[in-house]
Amino acid sequence: MGAMTNHQTSRDKLATLSACMLRVAENRDKRAYAEIFDHYAPLLRAYSLMRDPGAELVADELVQEVMIRVWLKADKYNHKLSNLNTWIFTLARNCRIDYLRRNSRYASEIDPAEWFEQIEDESPGPFQQVQTSRIEESIRAGLGELPREQSEILTKVYLEGKSHQQTSEELALPLGTVKSRVRLALKKLEVLVVR
Amino acid sequence: MDTTLHHPEDELLASYSAGSLPLSQAMCVSAHLEHCQSCNQKLRRLNSVGSALLENLSPAPVADKLKSKLLDQLDTLSEAVSAPTHTGDASIPRCLHQFVDGDYSQLAWKWVSPDIHSVELCRDSNGAKVELLKIKPGGSASTHTHLSDEYTVILEGSFSDEQGVYRKGDFLLRDRDDRHTPMASLDRECICLAVTEGPIQFTGFFSRLLNPLLRRSYA
Repeated sequence: MGAMTNHQTSRDKLATLSACMLRVAENRDKRAYAEIFDHYAPLLRAYSLMRDPGAELVADELVQEVMIRVWLKADKYNHKLSNLNTWIFTLARNCRIDYLRRNSRYASEIDPAEWFEQIEDESPGPFQQVQTSRIEESIRAGLGELPREQSEILTKVYLEGKSHQQTSEELALPLGTVKSRVRLALKKLEVLVVR
Repeated sequence: MDTTLHHPEDELLASYSAGSLPLSQAMCVSAHLEHCQSCNQKLRRLNSVGSALLENLSPAPVADKLKSKLLDQLDTLSEAVSAPTHTGDASIPRCLHQFVDGDYSQLAWKWVSPDIHSVELCRDSNGAKVELLKIKPGGSASTHTHLSDEYTVILEGSFSDEQGVYRKGDFLLRDRDDRHTPMASLDRECICLAVTEGPIQFTGFFSRLLNPLLRRSYA
């Protein structure tokens, strides 16, 4: 029962935020933008702190970077392609990659700024719209039911930004086990099931 | 667009979606994605995993100052001038635009063997070597194993090895236990993007003599 209500609330919340996003895109509405900020900024800050615990300034910078992109790219957000949560996640991920590239001690020459985003901006296939929202709901519901050993690994990979190799070292698990747990988790969440 | 038969593993795509893949490997995945509708669809779903995890985090409070500062700035923000559009060959994947300006023929190809030329594009921060390989029609690379993983995406032409035939867009991962002898198709040359994290090890009698040379080039 509790989970059901939760589910409903988050769906309502997302609908409200998506409406705000539309007002930002079409009318450059700052009140609507502030509402989006209030919801996502603390999550983005938490996301940054997952990778760099205690790095408050880095977290603030990520919040700013992502929220600036939300304002500037508002007209590029395509609600048919992904829901707002997912769009914000991809912006946050891209900002993180960008930040790491600029600030890492062993900077990579590879600049992913252009290609990492563009691929996902392309238009969806005819059946994709319905799928996206339904799938996101089932993924959120499924995450809570994953065995701890699987959700732990998804957290490392997605939130802490760890490679499989790093994950295997930190958890003292063989690399193959890390990979198979990712696979099992995706299978349980039915992420890759084509219906 | 969807002619590829060989795809990256799901867990590799998940790391790409998470942004936790070394950039050199991400380049290979990206080059494959340009040719593969089904992996693109998977990627969108994998992004939803990230978004669900993000939504489940306990919010970390943000200082009011940060919000008001940002709101005050909004009107002065403008998008940074976007990068100049690529003027080179349209079939070159986006992840290579940074390195390939015109077309593949204009690159400074270096002789590796009678059948193979290569050009190093860059090194990743983990030391991985990113290069393009060109195998002449019907040409073959000596049988080799790898001291570490090798990621390959076919950009032009096709080649085959003991395990199958690979065409434009196909993605292969060969690890240190795989021993293989890639051979280009007879009708045209084959160009691939290859990422290796360590030197490959030739196992043929004559080409084994090359090993010390190759290893030195990684020093």
